[in-house]
Amino acid sequence: MTRLDQLSAAQIASGVAAGAFSATEVARASLDAIEARDAEVQAFLQVSADLALKTATATDELRAHGAKLGPLAGVPVAFKDNMNLQGTRTTCASRMLEGYESPYTATCVQRMLAAGATPIGKTNMDEFAFGSSTESSAFHPTRNPWDAARVPGGSSGGSAAAVAAGEVSIALGSDTGGSIRQPASFCGVVGLKPTYGAVSRYGVVAFGSSLDQVGPLGRSVTDVAIAMNALVTGGRDPLDSTSQDVPASFSAHLEDPVEGMRVGVIPALMEHESIAPDVRKGLADARAALEEQGAQITEVELSHMASAIAAYYVIGPSEAFSNLARFDGVRFGYQEPGSATLAEQTALSRAHGFGAEAKRRQLLGAYLLSSGVYHEYYYPAQQVRTLITEDYRHAFARCDAILLPVAPTTAWHFGEVNDPTQMYASDLFTISLNIAGNAGVSVPVGSSPASGMPLSAQLQGPAFQDANLLRMARALERGIAKKGLHMPDTVAPAFADRGGEL
Amino acid sequence: MALTTDDVRRIAAYARIALTENELAEMTAYMSEAIKLFEPIRAYDLAGVEPTYHPIGGLSNVMAADVANKHGRSLSVDAALSNAASTQGKAFRIPSILGTAGGDQR
Repeated sequence: MTRLDQLSAAQIASGVAAGAFSATEVARASLDAIEARDAEVQAFLQVSADLALKTATATDELRAHGAKLGPLAGVPVAFKDNMNLQGTRTTCASRMLEGYESPYTATCVQRMLAAGATPIGKTNMDEFAFGSSTESSAFHPTRNPWDAARVPGGSSGGSAAAVAAGEVSIALGSDTGGSIRQPASFCGVVGLKPTYGAVSRYGVVAFGSSLDQVGPLGRSVTDVAIAMNALVTGGRDPLDSTSQDVPASFSAHLEDPVEGMRVGVIPALMEHESIAPDVRKGLADARAALEEQGAQITEVELSHMASAIAAYYVIGPSEAFSNLARFDGVRFGYQEPGSATLAEQTALSRAHGFGAEAKRRQLLGAYLLSSGVYHEYYYPAQQVRTLITEDYRHAFARCDAILLPVAPTTAWHFGEVNDPTQMYASDLFTISLNIAGNAGVSVPVGSSPASGMPLSAQLQGPAFQDANLLRMARALERGIAKKGLHMPDTVAPAFADRGGEL
Repeated sequence: MALTTDDVRRIAAYARIALTENELAEMTAYMSEAIKLFEPIRAYDLAGVEPTYHPIGGLSNVMAADVANKHGRSLSVDAALSNAASTQGKAFRIPSILGTAGGDQR
């Protein structure tokens, strides 16, 4: 008997195409796995069973008529709940959007469906993507599949947990300051933040418009590459002005050797005091795995990295304040009943619709953009963005990718990091990438000798060289597998034998 | 520069978020803490450094012809109203804007 979670996305698609099993059987297996596992993991805010079965039936009918199936035919996919999918709610894990029905489908979701994917449901997240642990979801926490007492990371925590628990093969997340890479790291899956502009954000609820990017999470680099092919197929999306043409060639050179390619390391960052000993061990293994395949390690510098957190927490909240001004309770969202005036209705709807962190970020943004304060912080933050971008340009002139931690620690326990600014500081290694708009990927490199929790390493690459970055990520995955530290396609052990039989 | 509760009260009014007195106190502490986090960006000599507002330069607004798009992008009236809490006919329904009369102006 095969279990769904033992198969890669490519194996599912080719099995469906060959008639080894039907898309409907795959969809049922995914729904069955969720039935058996999600009471504990709580990765989903909504399971779209009817939509999944309807889509799978359509895939099976296409095959019956002899049509060529897409590269994700029948593959069960979950979407972060800030992505519109007609037939589902899009809540951003907020009371503000508790009953919001998606009026249309986001381009990123549509492209996964066009490649044949089956939409299984919408995943939990930090409210409006403000957070690094998914604890700020208004509805419920999501548990880390590797240890239910720990957070899955965030803000795309539900997407990472659903993939790690083997409930779906691929999930989409969004990354404004690390929100794909950090939960991928905490849950032991692969998560790519593509170059800014590579994937359309049309239909994705905006947080920080100069920072947000959609990307895939999967249990292997190969699956993430297949998802990227689907996300860029169709070319530039005229509905997102930042969208760029990107060739769908993420799989073509994935297995190419990396001998002679250059991997940058930043000694000051690799030895940063905040990095836990087990994370250091993972980084050393990652470095060795790449070196053993002939990659050249070279020292580089990102000298303004220390100011990245500051610049980010100026730019991010300012853009969030601007974007979230649309939630006034009139056209959509929570509306305070019985208000005497529109102003009162707006202020009370926002007060009662938004959770604490969403209010914090918006107040911060309102302050930073207010008259007189703008020139103190916002303008200099954008100047610092220039310096950080230049740092990367110089570094990438000397290397093909930079090896970094994803986060200073493995997944923490619920409630362990409860001071907002302390949580912001944990974004140190992911955030500068969004500021510059480059691509980054989190790759599992083993498990902690101390806690057994997943360890990951981050590779960052220059803008629009995402395919090359994934080739390096695949080499890292291959080298780590050779050392026996982590095998691609791994499901969190506590869930691997529960439901989902195909 | 530490912020006072009154500063935060004004910011909250500007942000259209009605905070309770307890929340105001919490937010004042939080905002002062957050502003400390921003100090590194004031530590550099930024004279002559151009700002980068966006990772992709040269973007411009996307304009479309001012005609109804019946092929997908325009929502029907029903769809546009379906997520609103209060509607009347083909309109979103809101309380008095100017407020002097208050209440529900049918």
